[in-house]
Amino acid sequence: MIFTPPYVPSEFIFMYMPAIYAGLIVGFIGSMAIAMKREELHILILTDLIGLAMIFVVSAVGTDLAEALILPGLVVELAETMAISEILISREMRKIDADPRRNLSKASSLFPQPFALNMEIMTTAPNFIALVLIGYGIFLTGFTGGAVAGGGIVLYALSKKARGMPVLVIDGIAGVSGISWCLWIIGFLLFFVAPNLWLISLFLAACGLLLKVASKVGLIGLLMREDIDKE
Amino acid sequence: MDFVTLGGNLFGTIPLGDIVLYVTPLNLFLFGVLIIFTLLIAISKTETQVEATLMKLSNTNVKVGKSEFKQRRFLAVICGIASAGAMITGDLFNFTLFMALIGILNIGIVSAVKQTTVLNSAYQYGLIAMMCSLPLFGGAAIILASTGTLSLFELSQLPPNPMVIFGAVLMLLGILGESGVAPFFASKAEMFRTPGSPFIVIIHLSSLFIIVRAVEILLLVLG
Repeated sequence: MIFTPPYVPSEFIFMYMPAIYAGLIVGFIGSMAIAMKREELHILILTDLIGLAMIFVVSAVGTDLAEALILPGLVVELAETMAISEILISREMRKIDADPRRNLSKASSLFPQPFALNMEIMTTAPNFIALVLIGYGIFLTGFTGGAVAGGGIVLYALSKKARGMPVLVIDGIAGVSGISWCLWIIGFLLFFVAPNLWLISLFLAACGLLLKVASKVGLIGLLMREDIDKE
Repeated sequence: MDFVTLGGNLFGTIPLGDIVLYVTPLNLFLFGVLIIFTLLIAISKTETQVEATLMKLSNTNVKVGKSEFKQRRFLAVICGIASAGAMITGDLFNFTLFMALIGILNIGIVSAVKQTTVLNSAYQYGLIAMMCSLPLFGGAAIILASTGTLSLFELSQLPPNPMVIFGAVLMLLGILGESGVAPFFASKAEMFRTPGSPFIVIIHLSSLFIIVRAVEILLLVLG
């Protein structure tokens, strides 16, 4: 017996139980895989699978409140994965410190060859595509718009070969990111404290989130270019 | 169960749209104790452990470096604030989020220690905490799906149906793993066998307090 509030559309009610079962089965399969595997890195990756099953179960609810719960759930999951991998790295470094010769020969890197992107399309097309993406992102606003505009910035940063970004620029982008985060929080608070100002708080939150995500993704692109151009 | 039965007189509510915070003596006491402890942590210095040296007559001091001390103090203060938030919150999903945040911070506090055994048990605890986020968040989502609200104020007045009971059982499983009690206590107890006492103690204290609050919330939902 499931009690459903009257304002939930009927299509979602039929999808609810299969989605819950799918989430629980995926979680069960993940737990079984963890019980069988004995290597630590594999266990960490398989644990992420269970986190995805959690997203299944939360998103199965299907209302707009549940949509607001998926994002924090995803962020928590990511943060936990990062914290645990940090622990793993720290432990391996301690082990190597204690016995430096232990895995000297097994050292490998993500990019064993120098990673050069000498393609013609990387020098001609990207300016236009980046401009279109950023314009479309600003038109969309919000999280999606931020991701699209950030993708444009990443494309531009990856394609340009200029070396040595000044520190001021990176600091400036980080500052814009922080200010837009404050805009988002102010908009969110205003929405709760003074609900009749919903339009201005919606715009504050949407523009803040756009700038935030765009600058974050753009920063990733800049850092990646700094990393890749090291030859 | 009504929260007047569980927490004493209702001092008042703070309505913030859908989320209604309620203030009872139990919540206020838990909140106050955690805030005071967080303040104590913020102004205290770390301890130095003295260990006997093997095969010699002298002792060795186990100290914590300055940067590690600062990082640990910051994370411990955040952990205290998160625990205090979990004590006062009136929203089911906020409680689960605070709980997950406390789990992450607990891992973060011990992430820079030098003992590999401590790091090993922190890794095991982190894995359990991540796996238990499925029943924790899933249980909260099932309760949301079957009642249509996350506000504890509303949930305490609704009669429980089988899906709510299933969700509450899932949440209990999640709470057990996320706070590291009963079947999983071994890894959590190993986590604070390292110098840096007042900051390490918050790991223990936050899980103790959150269990009390979790019992209250489960009784409210099921009652």
